[in-house]
Amino acid sequence: MSSEEQIIQLTPEICQAIDQWVLKYPPEQKRSAVLAGLRIIQRAYGWLSDERMRALAEYLDLPPMDVYEVASFYSMYERKPIGRYKLAVCMNISCHLCGSDNIIKHLESRLGICMGETTSDGLFTLRRAECLAACTDAPILQVDDRDYYKRVTPEIIDQVLEQLHQAGRKKGRDDAT
Amino acid sequence: MIKFEIDGKKIQAKSGSTIIEAADAAGVDVSHIPRFCYHSKLSIAASCRMCLVEVENGRKPLPACATTVTAGMKIYTKSHQAMQAQKEVMSFLLINHPLDCPICDQGGECELQDLSMGYGRTSTSFIEGKRSIKDKDIGPLIATEMTRCIHCTRCVRFCSEIAGLRELGILGRGEHSEISTYVEHSMQSELAGNIIDLCPVGALTSKPFRFKARAWELRARAGIAGHDCLGSNINIHIKRESDSQPERIMRVVSRTNEKLNETWLSDRDRFSYTGLYHADRLARPMIKQIGKWQETDWETALTVATQKLQNVIAQNGAQAVGGLISPNSTVEECYLFQAWLRSLGVPHIDHRIRQSDFDHQIQSPLVWSTCKCVQSLEETTSFLLIGSFIREEQPLITSRIRKATQGGARVHVINPVDFDFHLTLTNRCIVSPWGMVCSLAAIAQVLFGNDKKKLNIMPKPIAELIRQQKPNTVEHDIARDLQQDKAPLILLGALAQAHPYFSYLRVLSETIAIEIGAKTLHLTDSANEAGAWLATALPHRRIDGVSIKEPGYNAKAMLAKTLKSYCLFGLEPTYDSAYPELARTALQQAECVIVCSAFKNKAMLEYADVLLPIATHLENEGSFVNIEGTRQSFQRSVNKPFAEARCGWKVLRVLANFMGRPGFDYQTVLELSSELSRNLENDLQSEHIPPVDFKPLPTVSDNTVWRCGYWPIYRNDSLVRRAEPLQVLTVEQDLAKLRLGAALATHLKVNNGDRVSVSSDHPDAKPVTLQVLIDQRIADATVCLPSGLPDIAINGPLSVVRITT
Amino acid sequence: MSLSFAKRQINSLLLLELFRGLSITGRVFLTRAITIRYPEEDTPISPRFRGMLALRRYANGEERCIGCRLCEAACPALAITIEADVRSDGSRRTTIYDIDAFKCMHCGFCEEACPVDAIVLTSEMHYHMEARGENIFTKDKLLAIGDLYEEKIAQDREKDNA
Repeated sequence: MSSEEQIIQLTPEICQAIDQWVLKYPPEQKRSAVLAGLRIIQRAYGWLSDERMRALAEYLDLPPMDVYEVASFYSMYERKPIGRYKLAVCMNISCHLCGSDNIIKHLESRLGICMGETTSDGLFTLRRAECLAACTDAPILQVDDRDYYKRVTPEIIDQVLEQLHQAGRKKGRDDAT
Repeated sequence: MIKFEIDGKKIQAKSGSTIIEAADAAGVDVSHIPRFCYHSKLSIAASCRMCLVEVENGRKPLPACATTVTAGMKIYTKSHQAMQAQKEVMSFLLINHPLDCPICDQGGECELQDLSMGYGRTSTSFIEGKRSIKDKDIGPLIATEMTRCIHCTRCVRFCSEIAGLRELGILGRGEHSEISTYVEHSMQSELAGNIIDLCPVGALTSKPFRFKARAWELRARAGIAGHDCLGSNINIHIKRESDSQPERIMRVVSRTNEKLNETWLSDRDRFSYTGLYHADRLARPMIKQIGKWQETDWETALTVATQKLQNVIAQNGAQAVGGLISPNSTVEECYLFQAWLRSLGVPHIDHRIRQSDFDHQIQSPLVWSTCKCVQSLEETTSFLLIGSFIREEQPLITSRIRKATQGGARVHVINPVDFDFHLTLTNRCIVSPWGMVCSLAAIAQVLFGNDKKKLNIMPKPIAELIRQQKPNTVEHDIARDLQQDKAPLILLGALAQAHPYFSYLRVLSETIAIEIGAKTLHLTDSANEAGAWLATALPHRRIDGVSIKEPGYNAKAMLAKTLKSYCLFGLEPTYDSAYPELARTALQQAECVIVCSAFKNKAMLEYADVLLPIATHLENEGSFVNIEGTRQSFQRSVNKPFAEARCGWKVLRVLANFMGRPGFDYQTVLELSSELSRNLENDLQSEHIPPVDFKPLPTVSDNTVWRCGYWPIYRNDSLVRRAEPLQVLTVEQDLAKLRLGAALATHLKVNNGDRVSVSSDHPDAKPVTLQVLIDQRIADATVCLPSGLPDIAINGPLSVVRITT
Repeated sequence: MSLSFAKRQINSLLLLELFRGLSITGRVFLTRAITIRYPEEDTPISPRFRGMLALRRYANGEERCIGCRLCEAACPALAITIEADVRSDGSRRTTIYDIDAFKCMHCGFCEEACPVDAIVLTSEMHYHMEARGENIFTKDKLLAIGDLYEEKIAQDREKDNA
């Protein structure tokens, strides 16, 4: 008999969002909604804690290991807390030829962090990305896995950082984490 | 059947079988296909690619484990293409595998080592850095060295498919993938040790065995596991005597027996050997003289034992002596024990130390109901499980049932605690111990309705009980499912056996079984309960099967009646008995207590007068009768049991000799076995068995609180209780707490962490103070407090208890 | 027959054989002696000489032996007894490493078998025992011998590899 662990429940909104995905698959294959479920949780909290992954497993009636495996397989699921904004610069050939390493250098010096690190104010995390399928507009900066900034230059970067900085400060950190 | 060719030899195989299955069935003479991830008992992963073979007209080599044979197929396992493919795969597997065979415990019995001798290259072209993975702590049983892992995923598949608990998984991907529990914790499965055998490399090895010996210096002896009624077949690995150490049992591994344990072994059977050389082990005979213990030789100890016992008999008659034998003793020991005591005129002989209700004993069959075939459990489609923490009691039988549920079988449970079985349960009645009887009666009512004819032929109190019931929906569902199924199986577990209304449970389940054409099966939590019945280590039956007119005391009465002398064999009554409090008082007051035991404990040193060291089942010779009713014999694995200990049958034989009993002249255990067999072959006399008086129904008030005192898996017998790695797991489980449901907690006005006193429902009972833990799995009006724990002695594992806050 | 008899008589009268022998003595008398004053002086020996056993250490003082028991398995005379266990730092080490010098026949198989060059045969052949039981070379003793002869052992191995 193991001692009882503290169980975190998913919020009703998240459950609702997951339910919509569950409906898309045959009822006996709820596990198909793991990917979507992880994405929904990550969007809500910024990252995936062990407890939330376990809660998702419970919600989908799966062994927790099934969820851990999926979450660790894909590099875009964050299993450790990261900054408010995730900045990812494409490092593949087209972007590389168009000077993505200059962009990274600029980002590193502006933010005062190295690749993969998070700024001390918890606003930005710098990542490298594989091809984002937008080679015509290289180099590409991707923010939070969603927003693309095309043909970025150090000037554009400065603008983007300024915008994000202000927006981030206004909103404050998402305290849900 | 399909005809095809392997390496030019014509072979037949069942349609649908894979190449590797067909090749294995044809035998090594035909071909041997190398493999890592393939295992005949697990699903197919085809991830290692070691079994690539050439198939005629195939574009490229195909994995033999995942390719089904077709008619006329021509397979080449040794062709240039096949060998080339296998060699390339091997060089990939060796890229990240460290060259640390000398310090690897798998060295000498490693599949990767063996195959790399055949398929590996002498040098590698890989010059980049090797990958290394942090080791995981997955508990006290399994040592990990994850850098050695080749990702065959056998362990992952074992956990999810056989153990029913997906504890291991592959995390990450590509070069970063690793086998892990993700959140670090001890593995919970009671079958986890099997992944040590499954691992083809040294990534998962036995922690207690770590670095202790090498495979090539061990000698294997066949044995039978002695901790549950399955009788798993084992190999005992022994290291020869050296200048620095006497002969020692180094480890236990499974021995394949498709009928019983397949290739698996429960952790209890695998790791119990670690208790063999515990400090508590009795090395030499001991006698107590003027309150002081002293070690002595056999001659003196036996003389003292004889004198003391004869004194008691001379003064008080043989009626004043009681004999209790462990149901984990061999058939031969049980037989000799009762023969020796009966030759002295002692009527009180019993092995049923955990039973509370003996009312029905006279009507019990000669042998516990056995199942013809454990394998057939997999084909059963409906189970009713009554009073059993089956996952802990019978780990491997549970895995058979699990397999059945994976095929769609339904399992219904009547238990006082919602135990986690790691299998899908269809219906569960979680009710108090008395509620279990009522639930079963309710099921009977659904089945019989108010059929007066049928109810009238039943014993009165039982018919009355059935009439009283108002079945709920769950009971309706269970009854209907059992009725609709062709051959359902009713399983009675150890908790049912320890139940104070066991006779009710028994009669009810048998009545139900007859009504619906089901079979009943008793799952006893000891190795040789069936054998002990056969050898009549019982107060009410002679060896020829005839009932004794005036039976002696049963195990409970023997302790309650406080006799002058007790002979204990292989028992620690303060842990093993259902009545530890009674046992302690009875043994303390006795004039003479002779104990044959492999281990001593504190209480034993207080009450015993003579301690005679005997062999444990791993060192012993004899036989066990398992759940199938099969008598499995085993020979001594070591030349000599630990220190001065002797095989139990020899001790009993010599005791009889010392007491001048004629007829105890067995030279070998075989002579004894054949005499026993002759006795068992005698035609059993059919006799009239008088109807049994059932005890009246209990009065259950709102304030009645029952206890569920199951024996935890690693507190079940003396040897397991000494096995330190297993005890670590027991400590982790934090069992010494009073668990109860929220409703009862509110009723008693207690909270988590409060301390309360618990005692059995007897005016003189000594209370035990324990912490409360609220646990939703416990039935109403029930508290869960396991038996067999140190310093917690409460009579009656399923009786009414008193709780004072 | 008679001729050879006469020849033998003359040879012996003239002491010819004596002078022939003395000529060799005289020749050798003037050359340099090839004997040495053992034990004050040593004969040169091969770097592969198989003498007294020793256990080596790494330069940082860590014992080399990892308790793999290959030497024990390789020993044809069953002279080696090993018990291994987990050391406090988790590594595999021997708790007992005994060599019975009475059984050992200096075949060198143990050295061949050792994957980490821990057990070696030194070039030392001058050793003796004074009491019963001293024939058992314990782990401590073997390591001490190793420490004492490390320089020589290393030199020998280097020469052999060159």
